[in-house]
Amino acid sequence: MFGQRNASGFRFPTAPVAVAENVAVVLTDEAAITSMPGEELRVEPLVAEDDLVAQGQPVFRLRAQPRIALTAPISGRVARIELTPGRKLSQLVLFREGEERYSHTRQTRNEVELRSLLQGAGWWRTLRSRPFGRMPAVDERPAAIFIMATDTRPAAPDPQMALAGREDDFAAGLKALSRLTSGTLWLCLPASAGQAAAEGVRQIRCARLHPQGLAGIQIHHWHPARIDAPVWDIHAEDVADLGTLLTTGLLPDTRLISISGEALQEQRLLRCSPGSDLRALVHGLVRPGPHQLLTGPALQGQATHWLGARDRQVSVLPGAATATHRHWFSAALRRAARPLPVIPTAALNQAVGGDIPGVALIRALASGDSETAVRLGALSLLEEDLVLTDYITGAQPAVSWQLRAMLDGIEAEEALT
Amino acid sequence: MIRGIWDREMVALMLLAAVMPMALIWLWYGGTAALSRLLLTLLVAGIWHLLFMLIRAQPPSFAGALTALAVAMLAPVELNLFQLVLGISFGVVMAELVMGGWGRNVLNPATVTLAFLGFGFPAAAWPDLPLPVAWAAIPAALMGMLAGVIPVHILLAGLLTAALALGAGLPVEPILPVAGLVLVLLVADPVASASTRAGGWMNGQLYGALMTLFAMYWEQTSPVQMAVSAALLASLAAPILDEIAIATWLQRRRGRLG
Repeated sequence: MFGQRNASGFRFPTAPVAVAENVAVVLTDEAAITSMPGEELRVEPLVAEDDLVAQGQPVFRLRAQPRIALTAPISGRVARIELTPGRKLSQLVLFREGEERYSHTRQTRNEVELRSLLQGAGWWRTLRSRPFGRMPAVDERPAAIFIMATDTRPAAPDPQMALAGREDDFAAGLKALSRLTSGTLWLCLPASAGQAAAEGVRQIRCARLHPQGLAGIQIHHWHPARIDAPVWDIHAEDVADLGTLLTTGLLPDTRLISISGEALQEQRLLRCSPGSDLRALVHGLVRPGPHQLLTGPALQGQATHWLGARDRQVSVLPGAATATHRHWFSAALRRAARPLPVIPTAALNQAVGGDIPGVALIRALASGDSETAVRLGALSLLEEDLVLTDYITGAQPAVSWQLRAMLDGIEAEEALT
Repeated sequence: MIRGIWDREMVALMLLAAVMPMALIWLWYGGTAALSRLLLTLLVAGIWHLLFMLIRAQPPSFAGALTALAVAMLAPVELNLFQLVLGISFGVVMAELVMGGWGRNVLNPATVTLAFLGFGFPAAAWPDLPLPVAWAAIPAALMGMLAGVIPVHILLAGLLTAALALGAGLPVEPILPVAGLVLVLLVADPVASASTRAGGWMNGQLYGALMTLFAMYWEQTSPVQMAVSAALLASLAAPILDEIAIATWLQRRRGRLG
């Protein structure tokens, strides 16, 4: 096969392996809908503070695309709705109350109805469209969809475990996804998985090494995204959720996540609702002393209160960020007028997956040369695909931020034409 | 968020650690004369790094020590103090510091220094390196490759070319020790060499081919001068080799992805 020769990366510890039946379900008393970093959700609230909502009930509508709704992750009472100027979503917090679940209509005779169901049920947000990594527009048709049934991020939960026992839902989800595109469905599996071939789906075996299990690396290799031919990617568990939604009308209320990090007494795999309260999730697991709670993998996580919309990992790192006072001479030795350059090493080439010319890409990003960066495949990549490079090289400013800035620039340019 | 270790200074320190076998053997055979030369080159390179830090807020790098070591080992022997200082200053300032410091340079400062000294003062004799120093290049290369700070493909391509030349019966045997030492010390510099895999292969082969050519046709000169000239030319060609490598990679991708 192409590219397996070039599939390089790093071996990271994986999430603790638990038997699927033993995964505990942890329901927190609070949960929230928040916007992800860099995501701009201009919303119109459909509920007011102190209203009772059911799990899966639409609570926001996007102002620009009213057909897309955001739904409540748990059933409960709306504690507060915080919007920033411009009616951008900051957060909506819910207190758990009752066991109500909102049932969506299951009419999906044609693609329009299918799309409006997915958009109205709040499922649309689990899709991510490249280039630029936004939620796809209402009527966008992708050139391909990548379904990630593998995850090589350090300590990430195994998607295969999330899929165990849900094969029928997963198959139904795949079938529905294939109605959204005229292109190919690509199913990215770990090398060890013995999944039977589904019809009309191309399977990719990804190496166990990080970053081979990231969507960006696989998209770059198999079906690069272009501005006129966007490529979607989605986690396999969300595809199974889609299947459940289509067969029952109910959106599943939990997902498999892992809790890891050095400030923990033990790593854990558990099921919880999206947007769960992180402090409640790690309660009783953390070692004494100051610690930081991050949603997402330790390489990329954001310090916050709530589990992110797309995150399946919680990282607990020891220590709090404190300012250190350095002598001016040592500061002069370390702090440059311009940031220090990145030195090409074998580690750097492995960190970008082995196929992309990493040094050329980093130089193009640092010099703002968007033409070269696009030629090298920047449109298929997102921040998450370069955080390993940041980790390896300690680049300042972070390469992933530079990529985001460049993508934003390209997006703004495209909007003008 | 957590951060890894392979920043610029870590790479420079690993490179320094890797070349230690060569440096120690060279000092062992060279004695106090070698030591004083190394101290002088370290001092001059250090002063320039310090000046650029104070005036331009450009942090100094341990790579300056690497340059100093290479210059001390390979520079012509009969130079007076002024000539040596002039040469190092030219190399360190013009090839590295004015570009923004190590990592932003196009050419290896030691290569530039040595080429400058060689062509500027052609009367001075090149050093005659003891054979064990060249043997010490092997553990140095292995350590560098293991840590990932020395590009593997350049070394392999250089070795391959040497083996081909030997196999073809070309008269390269007398220059092999110096060629190998310069390959590890100057050519396989992670910054000034080709950064892509295919580019690295071409870069190493170019160096090997130039050395073979010089060994056959460049008479009345020292192997060190041949090696330094070949290193300079190979390093100058590195960006275009990278361009070729990326162009062929894009071509292959277009062919595969349509």
